Amino acid sequence: MGGMGRLKGYLLRYWRRYLFGSVCLLATVTLVMWIPWWMREAVRIMEHGGSLADVRYYALLIGIAGTAQGFIRTFSRALIFNAGRDIEYDLRNDLFAHLQKLPISFYHSQRTGDLMSRVINDISAVRSLLGPGILNFFNAPVYFVYATVLMLSIDVRLTLVALLPCPLLIYAVRKFRGRIMRASLRVQQQMAELSSHIQENLSGMHVVKAYTQEENQIRDFVRLNQDFQAKSMELAKLRGLVSPVMQGLSGLTVLFVIGYGGFRVIRGDLLIADIVAFIAYLSVLAWPTAAFGWMISLIERGRAAMERLEEIFKVEPAITSPAQPLALADSREGIEFRKVSFGYDAKGNGDAILQEIDVVVPRGRTLAIVGRTGAGKSTLAQLIPRLYDVSSGEIRLGGKDLRSLSLAELRRTLGYVPQDPFLFSTSLNRNLAFGRDSISDEEIEEAVRVTRLDRDVAIFPDGLHTVVGERGITLSGGQKQRATLARALLLDPPFLVLDDCLSSVDTETEDKILRGLKSALKEKTCVIISHRISAVREADEILVLDEGRIIERGTHQELVLKDGLYADLYRQQQLSEELEQI
Amino acid sequence: MDNRPATNNNRPGNRPPAGPSTSPYQEEIFGKAYDLRLIRRLWRFLIPYKKLFWLAALLLPLLQLFGLAQPYLMKVAIDNYMASKDVWGLQGIAALLLVAIVGEAVTTYLHYYLTMLVAQRSLADMRVAIFSHVQKLPMSYFDRNPVGRLVTRMTTDVDVLQEMFAAGAMTVLSDFIMLVWIVAIMFYLHVKLALVSLALIPPMFFAINFFRHRARRAYRLIRERIARINAYLGEAISGMAVIQLFVREGKSYRDFDELNAAHRDANQLSNIYEASLYSMVEAAGSISIGLLLWYGSGEVLAGVIGIGTLVAFKEYISRFFVPLRDFSQKYTVMQSAMSSAERIFHLLDTPVAIASPTNPIVPKPFRGEVSFEDVWFSYKEDTPVLKGVSFRIEPGERVAVVGATGSGKTTTIKLLSRFYDIQRGSIKVGGVDVREWDLQALRRHIGVVLQDVFLFSGDIRTNLSLGDVDIPTERIEQATKYANVERVIYRLPAGLGAQVRERGSNFSTGQRQLLSLARVLVFQPEILVLDEATSSVDTETELLIQDALEKVMEGRTCLVIAHRLSTIRNADRIIVFHHGEIREVGTHAELMQKRGIYYRLYELQYATEEPKVAAEDTGAKM
Repeated sequence: MGGMGRLKGYLLRYWRRYLFGSVCLLATVTLVMWIPWWMREAVRIMEHGGSLADVRYYALLIGIAGTAQGFIRTFSRALIFNAGRDIEYDLRNDLFAHLQKLPISFYHSQRTGDLMSRVINDISAVRSLLGPGILNFFNAPVYFVYATVLMLSIDVRLTLVALLPCPLLIYAVRKFRGRIMRASLRVQQQMAELSSHIQENLSGMHVVKAYTQEENQIRDFVRLNQDFQAKSMELAKLRGLVSPVMQGLSGLTVLFVIGYGGFRVIRGDLLIADIVAFIAYLSVLAWPTAAFGWMISLIERGRAAMERLEEIFKVEPAITSPAQPLALADSREGIEFRKVSFGYDAKGNGDAILQEIDVVVPRGRTLAIVGRTGAGKSTLAQLIPRLYDVSSGEIRLGGKDLRSLSLAELRRTLGYVPQDPFLFSTSLNRNLAFGRDSISDEEIEEAVRVTRLDRDVAIFPDGLHTVVGERGITLSGGQKQRATLARALLLDPPFLVLDDCLSSVDTETEDKILRGLKSALKEKTCVIISHRISAVREADEILVLDEGRIIERGTHQELVLKDGLYADLYRQQQLSEELEQI
Repeated sequence: MDNRPATNNNRPGNRPPAGPSTSPYQEEIFGKAYDLRLIRRLWRFLIPYKKLFWLAALLLPLLQLFGLAQPYLMKVAIDNYMASKDVWGLQGIAALLLVAIVGEAVTTYLHYYLTMLVAQRSLADMRVAIFSHVQKLPMSYFDRNPVGRLVTRMTTDVDVLQEMFAAGAMTVLSDFIMLVWIVAIMFYLHVKLALVSLALIPPMFFAINFFRHRARRAYRLIRERIARINAYLGEAISGMAVIQLFVREGKSYRDFDELNAAHRDANQLSNIYEASLYSMVEAAGSISIGLLLWYGSGEVLAGVIGIGTLVAFKEYISRFFVPLRDFSQKYTVMQSAMSSAERIFHLLDTPVAIASPTNPIVPKPFRGEVSFEDVWFSYKEDTPVLKGVSFRIEPGERVAVVGATGSGKTTTIKLLSRFYDIQRGSIKVGGVDVREWDLQALRRHIGVVLQDVFLFSGDIRTNLSLGDVDIPTERIEQATKYANVERVIYRLPAGLGAQVRERGSNFSTGQRQLLSLARVLVFQPEILVLDEATSSVDTETELLIQDALEKVMEGRTCLVIAHRLSTIRNADRIIVFHHGEIREVGTHAELMQKRGIYYRLYELQYATEEPKVAAEDTGAKM
C-alpha cells in the first residue's frame, strides 16, 4: 500500500463531511455566480431607464444572496478544514501507536529530530493537502466552469476574448512549478550544508579554539552563507514573479473586456450591463486563479510528506508477541540461556557480540556478570526483556522461550534497570510511579529509602515533587541511577536484571544499597552486571565475559583462586580503592 | 492519590516565562508583535542596505497608485467613453489601464525583489554576526548549551525573520495609508455613496476585530499545544525503551492522544473563526454591492452618476477589505519574528567572558616555559577541581601528568590554553600570565592533541592546515611523512585531497591520531599539550604512533597526560595528580621507589601493559 492508498482510507472515514462540505461549496458558488447575473439585470434596467423599484428588487436579491453565501461558506470551509484536522489527528495517533511498537534497534538507526519532524511537519503538510488543498482543488474547476458557462451564455465572443490569457496562465503555472521546486531544493541543500558547517564548528569548538581557527571558520562560513544567500535570492526572484504574473494576467482579462467589450458597446451590439457582469465574473475568478500555483505546490508537498510517513508505517515491528502466547503461570523455573548468540547485523556471524552463551539461573538465585568494556555484558542483559532478539539459540524464562510469551507479560514480570538512566521531565514521584497505575505514598517512601535516595530527597526543593527536568538533568548521575532502580523495584517483579545500574554511585553507597536490597531480592531471580567486584562477590554464580564468550565461571572464591581475568579485575579494584583512601 | 501520567508535565498554565528556556522543544514564547526595542536593533542590520530599503518603501505609493487607478479608469471608460461612444477615448483609457496593470505587476515584483534583497543580505550579515560571536564565547558556554540550540539560532530563527519580510509584515503601515486613500477617493467620487459604502465598514471592522481577536487567541493556543506535542514526542522517542520495558504503551498513547486532541480542538476552533472571518469579508463584499445598487440606482437614474461609478465603488470596497483580512496573519508572523529576534539578540548579548586584554604582552624572546602558581579552579561553585596546583616546566622539558580519573589532569591542560579562567593564582606561558597574552597568539604557541581526535569534514589537506591557505603544500607533505601518516594518505587515490567524512568516521582511531600529530607538525608550536588516547589500536599502528610521538615531542616543551608506558618512561619528570592536588613529582624510577600514589597508579594503569609492549618492541626489532 502506497502512501496515497493509506490516505484514501482516512478520507473514506470522513466522506460524509467531505460530501456535505462539497454540497455547501457548490451552493456557495451557485449563489456567488448569480450575483453578477443580477447585477447585469439591474444595470440593464438602469440603462433603459427602468423603474427604481425593479433595480432595488435585484439589489435586495444580491444582498440576500450575499448574506446566505456568507453563512453557507462558513460551513463549507469549516467542514472541510476540520475534516482535515480530524484526519491529521488520526494520522498522528496512528503513527505514534506504530512508533511504540517498533523495537529499540529502530530508534538507534533514526535520529530523534528526523522522527519528530515526520510526526509534526510531515503530518502537517498532509493536513494542508487534505484541508485547503482539497477545498481549492474542487473550488477552482467549479468556479471556472460555472463562470465560463454563464459568460458564454451572455456573449460567446467576449468570453473567448476575456479568457485569452488563460493558456498563458496554464503555461506560466507549469513553467513556474518546476523551476520553483528545483530552486527550493537547491536552497534546502545549501541550508543543510550551512547547518552541518555550524554543527561541526560547534562540536569541534575545542579544536577551533586550540588552533585559533576562528577566522578561517568564519571565512568558510561567510562563503557558504553567501552561496546560501545567492540561492535563496534565486528562489525569491522566482517566487516573487508568481503573484504579479497571476495578478497581471487577471488584470489583462479585465482590460480585454473593457477594450473589446467597450468597442462592441459603442458599436451597439453589447450592453454596459454585460461589461459590468463580465468584470464581476472575472473578479470572482481572480482568487482561484492566483491560488492555482499555491494549490499545486500544496498538493505536491502533501504527497511527498505522505510518502515519508509511509516509510515509517512500512517498518514492520520486529519484536512482537506471538499470536497465541503461552501463559507464564506460576512456574518454578528461572532464566536459562541455551547456546545464545547475538549480532546486531541480523544473522551475520562475523560481528557476533555474544557467542554460545549457556547458563542457567535457578529461581531465586543471583547470577552476576563481569568483564571489560565491550565484552557484551549489556547486550546480554538487553536480550532478557527482548529489547533485541537472539540471533540463534534461545532464552527461557519460567521454562518457556521468551518469544512464546506475550511481550507485555514478559516485561511486567521482569524489572530491567539499564546502565544509562532515563527519567522523564516530570516530578520525581511520578517518575518512580511510572510503571504503576496506582501506588501508595508508603510504597514510594520505602523504595526511596531502600535506594538511599531519602537523604537526597530531603534537600530537594520540593522533596518528592521536585521536577527532575529533561532526562533528569537536575539530578546527579548517581541520583538518576538510584531513581531508575527505585522505579523498577516498585513493580516488585519476580525477575530482576540490573545492568551496572549503580555505576555512578560511590562504592560505599552501593554497598549499603545492595545490603538493603538483600531481603527484598531474596526471593527474586536476579541477573546483576557490574564493573565492581564488591557488587557481585556474593552472587550464586559469576560469569566473566570477554569478547562475547564466557571465559570464566564460578563463585567469587573459585574465580579468585583461578588467577584469571576475574582475579586481575579484583586486584585492580582493590588498588583503586586503596588509592581513593590516600 | 496522584495517578496522573508521569510524563505529562505540560499542563496549561504551566508556560515557562519569556526568555530562553532550558528545553530545546519548548522555546516558543509569546511577546509583543511590534516591540520597538527589538525593531530598533533589527534596523541596525538593515542600515548598510538602507538605500535599497527606502527604494523598496518608495515603490509602495507607486504600487498603490497603479492599483487604485484601475477602478477609476474602469469608471471613466464606462461612464465617459462607452456612454458617449468615443472609440478613441476608449482606446486611450485601455492604454492607461494597460499601463496601470503592467505597472502594478512590475512595481509589485520590484518591491518584493528589493525587500527580499535587503532581507537576504541583512540576514546573511546577521548569521555571520551570530557565528562570529559564537566563535568568541568561552568553552564553558558550550559545556552548558546544546549544539542543536545554537544551530537553531543561526538557521530556523533567522528564517523566521525572513518570513517576516516575505509576508509583508513590515508594510502594515503602508496598508493603512492605502485605506485612507481608498476612503478619500470614494469621497471624491460621490459623498453619499461613500457614506453608504463606509456604513458597512464600522460594523465589519468590529466583526473582523471580534473574530481576529479570537482567531489570534486560538492561534496562540495552537502554538502552545503543538509545542507541548513536540516536547512530549521528543521525550517519548528518547525514552521509548523505558515505555516499552514498563509496558506503558497504552498509558503513553492515551497521554499523546490527549495532547493531540487538544491541538486538534484548538485548530478546529480556529478554523471556525477563520472560516467565519473569511466568509464575512466575502459576504460584506456582496452586501455592499446590494447597498450600492439600492442607493446608487436612484442617482444613476437621476443622471448624477454613471454606472461606471458603481463599478469603481465595488472594486474599491473589495480592495478595502483585503488588508483588514490579512492583518491578523501578518500579526502572528510578526509575533513569532519578535520572539526569534529576542532569542537571537539574547545570544548576541552573551558576554565574551574570555577575551584578549587591550594591551597584550608579547614575551621576547619566547622560550616556551610554562608555570602554574597556586592555581585554584572550579567549573561549578564550591566544587574545586584544582586546589593550589603549582609546577614549572622548562623550555624543551618533557613532563608527564598521571592521576586517576577526575584528579584534574584534563582540566590542567585546558587551563593552559585559557579555555577557562582560573579563580586564584596564575598560569604563565613564556613568563607571561595567560590573561596578559593575546588569546590567538597564546594558542598559536600551544599545539593541543586531545584524546578524541576531531576531524572536520572536507579533505585531508584542510584538516592538516585547518584551512590556512598560506601554509605551503611542501610543509604539509613533510609533516605527513614525518608523522608516519604518509602511508595512510597515499593509499587513498585522491591523496591529500581525499575526503574526510563528518567527524572523520572513514578513518580508524589510529589513523586519526596520526593525522592529529601531523597537524601539530604543520603548525610547529613551541609547546605541545597531549592527552594520549586510551583506546587500543593494532600493534602496527601503535608502533607508528609511538614513533611519530617521539618525533613530535622532540625539541618541544611537552605536557602529556600519559596513558602509554613508553611515554612515562621517556618523560623527564612525572607529576602525579590526586584529588586536584599535586602529590608526587619525580622520574619513573624515583616514584616507583617511593611506593606512594604513583606506584599504585602504575600497577593499576600501566603494569598490565608492560609484557605486551615489551613483546612488541622485540617484535619490531626483529
